[in-house]
Amino acid sequence: MAEFKFSQSPHIKSGNSTRKVMINVLIALLPATIMGIVYFGIPALLTILTAVISSVGAEFVYELILGKKFKSILKRFDFSSAVTGLIIALISPANYHLYIPFIASVFAIIVVKMLFGGTGKNLVNPAAAGRIVAFISFTTIMNNFVAPNIACIFDNVITGATSLQSLLFDGTRLSTLDLLLGTGVAGCIGETCKIAILVGGIYLAIRKIINIIYPLIAIAIAGLVAVMLNGFDFGVFLPAILSGGLIFGAIFMATDYVTNPVSALGKVVFFIGYGALTSILRHFTGYETASFAILLMNLLVPLIDKCTLSKPFGYKKAKKEAK
Amino acid sequence: MNKFSKIASNGLIKENPTFKLILGTCPTLALTTAAFNGIGMGLAVTFVLICSNVLISLLKKVIPSNVRIPAYILIIATFVTIVKLVLDKFIPSLYDALGVYLPLIVVNCIILGRAESFASKNPVTDSALDGLFMGLGFTVSITLMGAVREILGAGAIFGFKLWDFSIDFFASSAGAFFTYAIFIALFNFILYKIEQKKKLSLLEVK
Repeated sequence: MAEFKFSQSPHIKSGNSTRKVMINVLIALLPATIMGIVYFGIPALLTILTAVISSVGAEFVYELILGKKFKSILKRFDFSSAVTGLIIALISPANYHLYIPFIASVFAIIVVKMLFGGTGKNLVNPAAAGRIVAFISFTTIMNNFVAPNIACIFDNVITGATSLQSLLFDGTRLSTLDLLLGTGVAGCIGETCKIAILVGGIYLAIRKIINIIYPLIAIAIAGLVAVMLNGFDFGVFLPAILSGGLIFGAIFMATDYVTNPVSALGKVVFFIGYGALTSILRHFTGYETASFAILLMNLLVPLIDKCTLSKPFGYKKAKKEAK
Repeated sequence: MNKFSKIASNGLIKENPTFKLILGTCPTLALTTAAFNGIGMGLAVTFVLICSNVLISLLKKVIPSNVRIPAYILIIATFVTIVKLVLDKFIPSLYDALGVYLPLIVVNCIILGRAESFASKNPVTDSALDGLFMGLGFTVSITLMGAVREILGAGAIFGFKLWDFSIDFFASSAGAFFTYAIFIALFNFILYKIEQKKKLSLLEVK
């Protein structure tokens, strides 16, 4: 699958390969990873290491069981499982319950990816599915977020509701700057510092891995829907889009080539759906629902593809024969 | 004796209602959160299956084929009512656990399917045996599934606490579909391997 790039015809040959794309995504995730480790310390580092090692390990073990040679696996290895593992770690809270990233990664790689045929054949985003399994299974631990504070390394760690939860439940809002930098905001490892995520997104856009328009559509729609649901209170716009995993999901998870519609129109529909669903589900459940929205939209992709097929040049619709 | 073993292997393995025919999925998915529920449901279905098979086999010449489905449903519903009343009186805890799925045995596809495809064409003893082994196949399958889901989802087996670790995913309905799919895949994989071995050994003998 490594040679194929998913787009509509006409096709043009490029030097891109899955491995190159995935290495670029890893580089783009680096700022968020570093900021996560700076904010959350050793638990974050351990969570990231566990998730990455266990997802890469799961892929190797699965292929070895299938009877492939170790050398050929290494030759075909395209870093996509490392990306999956890193994303799973970045959208989990930082703590010492290391079995949670382990279970989420193994589930994501074995069940969601490898059982459906490996890279490029998964129906849904493996990282989103892995996170949801962990979220459903260990609700209390997964919802116990730690507020990052560099001073906290010496003090007792503050645990509490995320900014999103306090926004949804009490209506309290942190300052926009705090949300942007992630200082004092409780949340997942890689999702707190929005600046780092945006830097990664801009890097991907410059390397032409993703088209930045689509994530921006999703983020804008999510903000607008949140405004509408709160009775046209435009003060909600910025906190709503800067809280939780919306931006991270829009840039790194929803843009996954495999689980995206083919045509540009389809992609627009996909990202509008993602943004709107995230806000609507957030409003009515009170939980962070970005990964659920991604999963739902992933499942709708075949339908979107079917509805947004473009006509081939010169194609005329066959007239229905009269009976 | 040959016929007996054929009916037995048919019910337990070759046409296992849960993993081979994929019948009766509704109670399979909903009730397998605990192994004990599986046994209770399985035995209730087995009882209804044996009784209805016997009665339908006896009445197969009397029932006109135009109205056979309502007639079967009536017979099945009679036995389900008996089971329901008995459970309510003597094992109320199981009665509560099975809930709405107990009266729903009436429309369980396994029972109607066996009535239609076996009991209405075969003599009484064969039908009784078929009901017994089909029911046992169902019981064993959903008890196994229930055990796996109980161990992983609640950290317990038959109500005994094993450890404090649990993955709630397996207790949820999504986990039910997941476990069911894994079981079907494994069951058919093992059967396929065994059949292949049989074919190979036949070839070698020749």
